[in-house]
Amino acid sequence: MISISCQTADLVERLTAVSRVASGRSAMQPIAGVRLVAQSGSVALEAVDSDLAIRTELPATVGGSGGVALPGKLLLDVARALPATAVELTSDETGFVEVKSGAATFKLRALRDDDVPPLPPMEGEHPVQLSAGALRDTIAKVEKAAARDATRLILTGVLVSASGDELRMVATDAYRLAVKETKLDTSIGGEGLEATVPHRALAEVARATVADDATIELRRHESRLIVKWDGTTLVSRLLDGQFPNYRQLLQENFTSEVELSTKELAEALRRVSLLAQKSARLRLKFTEGELQIGAQTQDVGEASESIPAPWHGEDLEIGFNPDYLRAGLDNVSTETVKLRLINPVRPMVLETTDDSAFTYLVMPLRLDV
Amino acid sequence: MRLIVARCEVRYNGRVTAVLPMALRLLMIKSDGSVMVHADTGGYKPQNWMTPPTVIDFEGDPVERIHVRKVGQDDELDITVEEIVSDVLHDMGEAAALEKDGVERDLQEALAAAPEFCGEGLRLVRREWPTDIGPVDLMCRDETDGWVAVEIKRMGTIDAVEQLSRYLERMREDPVLADCRGILVAQKIAPQARTLAASRGIDWVEVDLAVVRGDREADLTLFA
Repeated sequence: MISISCQTADLVERLTAVSRVASGRSAMQPIAGVRLVAQSGSVALEAVDSDLAIRTELPATVGGSGGVALPGKLLLDVARALPATAVELTSDETGFVEVKSGAATFKLRALRDDDVPPLPPMEGEHPVQLSAGALRDTIAKVEKAAARDATRLILTGVLVSASGDELRMVATDAYRLAVKETKLDTSIGGEGLEATVPHRALAEVARATVADDATIELRRHESRLIVKWDGTTLVSRLLDGQFPNYRQLLQENFTSEVELSTKELAEALRRVSLLAQKSARLRLKFTEGELQIGAQTQDVGEASESIPAPWHGEDLEIGFNPDYLRAGLDNVSTETVKLRLINPVRPMVLETTDDSAFTYLVMPLRLDV
Repeated sequence: MRLIVARCEVRYNGRVTAVLPMALRLLMIKSDGSVMVHADTGGYKPQNWMTPPTVIDFEGDPVERIHVRKVGQDDELDITVEEIVSDVLHDMGEAAALEKDGVERDLQEALAAAPEFCGEGLRLVRREWPTDIGPVDLMCRDETDGWVAVEIKRMGTIDAVEQLSRYLERMREDPVLADCRGILVAQKIAPQARTLAASRGIDWVEVDLAVVRGDREADLTLFA
């Protein structure tokens, strides 16, 4: 038997994160459970699914020791609905957990504790440490470029590598590629870290409720990545396979280069994209001193806009998926953006123009179809 | 099938009372007892109708009145005919069954011949893999010899995810297929279906039939 007394808000906050892991990726009910573990006067919430495991400490007054598993979503729904600021959870010997808050009482049937898989090892060597704000920013800049479909499973992951005092994340869905480099607070020793992490795991880390200046640690242990912050540990399985050789794409001989106002380009793209519907292409035509942006959707209409561009040399017309182009530009945080091109069938590079080290490649769409 | 184009007035009596005033209409009277009253506008939907079983009485020759009564109920259509423009009877014979999901069948054939479009390294083991709740469209093996069940739809919806979930649940009861993973493949997959699939651990892939068949070049990609 265990008893737990805590603040309702603390319980809701921790359960929200833990329940997302226990989201029922498996059809098996027990795996959608959250386990409460009381030990030595403290309590932790745990959840495991096929890709992720999470353990987070809950500030509470605890009696007894042991664990009890409850359906995660139901417990979260109950916690969110509790009427008072404090809540007590008490397990009994009949397999129920009583949840009391103010005048409200719930009795929830517990899952079999041993049905919830045990947590994987949560320790590893050579931690990479950086501020939560920097990590969040790095993830936000690349994570959305990872593939969502399963045509190439390795592309559903983000390549995370760290050595010396630099963390690098790379994601691609084969149509665009995002690279972000971030300076680490402290240099790491050993061989560094290299792993392909499912994008979902990094999205969970980015959602962590932790101050920007708090420290987050990343470690690798065998085929898992272990992420720790402020009383919480998240473990993700890593993807097998070889991440594509993206470096050769960055080393191509880009023959044309132009630097534009990021805001001016973004606003023009936003306006013209309104008429790039039903998979219509966005046309970019670089001519002497000017960039013309155009879009046309059959039976709907067309739009065009020109912005000044220090372009010299031969004209170049190239087509893009408007969403992909805008997604890259949205992550350029500098006042100007550098575009580097080769020809209408090779990727275009968008780069920041300071040391924020963000690079985005986007593959064009053919204009002759 | 009797098709009558006539200037007529149609009165419906039953749960409510409704009148279609005198106008030129098409009356479609099927051999199964269905009666439909169509105008030249309003899309596919009749202005009024009665589903079988019905009792249909024709008065006059040429027809002056058609009375349709729903068997066992109080619903009735009373059609007063002012002028007949055309009155034709067709023997339709036995109806051929609906060619179900022609596009889906085409997709399945094309993907069976090129399963790599469903996922890198996939190879086909069998089409229409039998389970006791229905056949799985394609059963494949991946690069590590793992089993992969592929459900193919023209449009990937939440229902398609549910269907594949049921197949996987049944198949995984067999220890040999305990680790079988699932992929939903469709020409378009609804955002809600993507979310549900992700929450169930089911992968999804959108394919273009013209590209799978080699009729159209695939979009340019960063990696060969």
